[in-house]
Amino acid sequence: MCRLEGDESFRRETKTLSLESRGSALIDLSSVVKVYDTGEVPFTALKSIDLAVEAGEFVGLIGKSGSGKTTLINMITGIDRPTSGGVVVAGTPVHELGENRLAMWRGRTIGVVFQFFQLLPTLTVVENVMLPMDFCNVHARREREGYAMALLEQVEMADQAYKLPAALSGGQQQRVAIARALANDPPILAADEPTGNLDSATAEAVFGLFEQLVHRGKTIVMVTHDDDLAARVTRALHVRDGEIVEDARNPMRVPARRDA
Amino acid sequence: MHGTRCGCRLAAMPDPRWAKIGRDLLAHKVRTLLTVLSIAVGVFAILVVLGGRGMLLQSFDANFPRSVPGDATLYTSDCGSDLLRAVERSAGVGAVAGRRSVVFRYLPGDLRSQAQPPAGVTLAQRSRSIELVASEDWATARVERVFPDSGVSWPPAAGEVVLERSALQQDSPVVGDVITVDAGDGTKRVLRVTGYAHDINAIPAMFSGHISGFVSMAEMGALGQAAEYNRIVVSMDRPDITRDEASRIAIRLRDDVLAPRGVRVFGMQVPEPGSHFLGDIFRAVAVLLLALGVMALMLSGFLVVNTVSALVSQQVRQIGVMKAVGARSSQIMWMYLALVAVYGVLAVAVGLPTGSYWAAWFARFGGGLLNFGDAPAGPPGYAVALAICVGLVVPLAAAYLPIRSGTRVTVVRALNSTGMSAAGFGHGVIDRILGLVRGLPRPVALALRNTFLRKGRLALTLTTLTLASVVVMSVMSVRTSMLRTVDDVASWWRYDVEVSFQQPVNASAVEREALRTPGVTAVETWLVRQASLKRPGGTEDEGISVIGLPATTTFVTPRLVAGRWLAPGDEGEVVVNTDVANDDGIHVGDVRTFTVLDKEREWRIVGIVQGQLMGSAVFVERNYLESALAEAGGIGRMVVRAADQTDFGQRQTGDRLEQRLKDAGFAVASVRNQKAMAASLSSELGILVTFLIIMAVILAAVGIIGLSGTMIINVLESTREIGVMRAVGASHASIYQVFVTEGVVIGTLSWLLGALFTYPVSLGLVRLLEKAITIPLSYEFSWGGMFLWLAIVSIISAGASLLPAFRASQVSVRDAIAYE
Repeated sequence: MCRLEGDESFRRETKTLSLESRGSALIDLSSVVKVYDTGEVPFTALKSIDLAVEAGEFVGLIGKSGSGKTTLINMITGIDRPTSGGVVVAGTPVHELGENRLAMWRGRTIGVVFQFFQLLPTLTVVENVMLPMDFCNVHARREREGYAMALLEQVEMADQAYKLPAALSGGQQQRVAIARALANDPPILAADEPTGNLDSATAEAVFGLFEQLVHRGKTIVMVTHDDDLAARVTRALHVRDGEIVEDARNPMRVPARRDA
Repeated sequence: MHGTRCGCRLAAMPDPRWAKIGRDLLAHKVRTLLTVLSIAVGVFAILVVLGGRGMLLQSFDANFPRSVPGDATLYTSDCGSDLLRAVERSAGVGAVAGRRSVVFRYLPGDLRSQAQPPAGVTLAQRSRSIELVASEDWATARVERVFPDSGVSWPPAAGEVVLERSALQQDSPVVGDVITVDAGDGTKRVLRVTGYAHDINAIPAMFSGHISGFVSMAEMGALGQAAEYNRIVVSMDRPDITRDEASRIAIRLRDDVLAPRGVRVFGMQVPEPGSHFLGDIFRAVAVLLLALGVMALMLSGFLVVNTVSALVSQQVRQIGVMKAVGARSSQIMWMYLALVAVYGVLAVAVGLPTGSYWAAWFARFGGGLLNFGDAPAGPPGYAVALAICVGLVVPLAAAYLPIRSGTRVTVVRALNSTGMSAAGFGHGVIDRILGLVRGLPRPVALALRNTFLRKGRLALTLTTLTLASVVVMSVMSVRTSMLRTVDDVASWWRYDVEVSFQQPVNASAVEREALRTPGVTAVETWLVRQASLKRPGGTEDEGISVIGLPATTTFVTPRLVAGRWLAPGDEGEVVVNTDVANDDGIHVGDVRTFTVLDKEREWRIVGIVQGQLMGSAVFVERNYLESALAEAGGIGRMVVRAADQTDFGQRQTGDRLEQRLKDAGFAVASVRNQKAMAASLSSELGILVTFLIIMAVILAAVGIIGLSGTMIINVLESTREIGVMRAVGASHASIYQVFVTEGVVIGTLSWLLGALFTYPVSLGLVRLLEKAITIPLSYEFSWGGMFLWLAIVSIISAGASLLPAFRASQVSVRDAIAYE
């Protein structure tokens, strides 16, 4: 587990968005609005969000329950669609893709990590990791198991490769989920409260994994409500009532290496 | 929930998605079993129904043409081989066979030397009827051929009888037994049963009420009969001949060949070429079987839709995860379709052998009843192919839409699926009404509302169970209608015992003997002859019975459809039954030409009465008929009324009467009592009821499987609710109560809906059967059957819910809350 140096205070920029870098941003949201039709009164979950995330950033989305942070990360992963506005990720206008192209794109471009791990219960650990390769036809069929084992080595789960998820602890399942998210070597990882269901020691270990990945050049967007963890990301976006109310960058964080 | 370690690491690991399908099958064994069973029922039903039907048809198609059925049969006075050859030489005739058929009474064992029967038992009490058929050309016959079983000595020698195979339907002598045949004139012949032969053209024992056997002409002579024929079977020289053409040839044979040579023709039968006399019943059975096959297929499809919908909705979160890691909808769809295909393969593996086995049983059973002969060993290829197709294609077709809509769910919706399924409840009218119901115990109220929670599934389950209920209750009404028909017929014929004689006998002499018999309270003698009715095109409607009876008879209660009954002094005025009226378009007031004993007679129709399951009949005033036929005093049938009208009383009276008539020297051909005739009729109609009951049982089984499946799925989907209930203190008993009540509510609802449709469906079924078997049936709705099914469906529903309820009661709070 590696802890990255630089826990100094963030340089805070209140609601200052990196619009100037939009042309080269890996993740680019412009005027994104999301309204849920919940019955009599529509609920606006996101109110005209503009956001640009550069490659190699470790972004934390921080906010209370119901603030809109999960909706925001769902916009980035294409799991949900904006009511209006545009979402461009790695040069692809996500909001314009049909469901099938979106699934393929997501499988190759974004690794998704969920709070409740969401491993398929009937597949072994290694099969869970191979699943995205299988769906997106990444790597030759015979090589997939080798790649999956290598990923499991990275998350220190290789010795559990042929167990079913039910035999693993929560922390172990989340490591496997991270390995699965990396299966197709996507440039971006999106994690929705990945440590929310873990004890503090396990959460620390998982976070350490994320830091390593950022070091290797991955871009991570992570939803969290843990202030301690939020303090360790390179950029903290505070979300409240569907708006980014604070965009805090941490200049002391080590920039990501692209040679990962 | 799952094993902790998967011991299935393989050298070449399959793609994870296909591994998932395999594991899903194994991980949810109950669901897999249920789905496989649902499909297997369809495969089974198709094989039993269509395969069994096909096997029956195959045996019929093989055995019926091989027998070369006659195109016309003439019932004649004695006629020799020379006349047979004259008939054969006639224009239009291809081949001819001569038979002598006589009904005798027989007793088991060698009773020649036994002057008196054993103490307390009269001869008549143990007498039964046998129709002995003799011919000179058993081995070389070219028409109505009879096929002996292998190893049987054929043709039968003197002292031997070969029984027609349908004798096996009844309690009859077996091979090696001897029987004593009573010729009626004191002559007794002992015959040894040497084996069985199959005559597909013979009326099976079950329908005729007596067995039949084949003997040599010499044996017939020994029984006091002339060694000549009394039945000529004619096959025409053109295979494509029509019934009308065959009828014209038969009339020409009667009028131009036989009559000039002094041979009288008592009756003629010209069937539809290529048709079997049981064809109507077989057709009715075939229609029923086809209906059953289609319904079983539909129900099987409903069950698959239900199960697969539940499966997909259960896995919606997994679908979301797969999509989140890059799966396209089409990929997921193929996965689930593959899962369904595996279900299909397993179902075919189960349904094919069991279905084939029962199809063979069914064909043997049906073939035995209808006397169609040996059935092939297995169902025909097309039925097997269809069953396999049904097992593989129908589930895929049924599952396609649920899978398609399930896999098209957006990732966000899939991932947000909580597993609590009550989100949609409370908006509909039914939901609101249920919400207003007060005063019920909480578990019952919960069960009631749970029932309507998943309305789509409820609709499918209800459809399945309602269809089954409709069929079961309708079958009960059909059965009641059949019984009512038998009762109606019995009330038509108001006598207890009917005696037929081998030759016309003196009326007053037999009446005198009958009245001296203890237990006989009234007697009447009828003149019965065969007639044919001339049709406008020159053809004739053969096989009509002319019954001469007193106009003032109290031995029948005619139910008039039109016109009037016979009146004393009627001459040339006759009453026909609906069989004749419908076949020939007869109305009251019409004057028609009937041929009786070779002579044409113009009779005016004065009334039409309801048919009585005895075929076409014309009722004529007896005195007039006697004088018209110049047969004063020569009657063929006697009917008597008994003091004791119970089954036993009728039989006892019949036995005494037969004994007395024999002692007085009358040659009795048969003695039948009303109850026995009603039983015979019941058994005939019973074939249809039996097939209907088989149909109802299969459909009821499908319905029960459907209900069990729904309850199991409901419990699985309610796992979280169960956890919540447990967390707030629900006992095992309360959980049981919720799910058993839910099952019973669904069962009762299906009964209620079924009851609404039962009247029109059962009425339609009775009318369909009526048309198929060309017998008018009385309709009676079975209220008893309806409430009996309510009781059965309640018990079944409670039973079907027990296993799911047990599973529900075993769910721990921790497991329930963690359930996905």
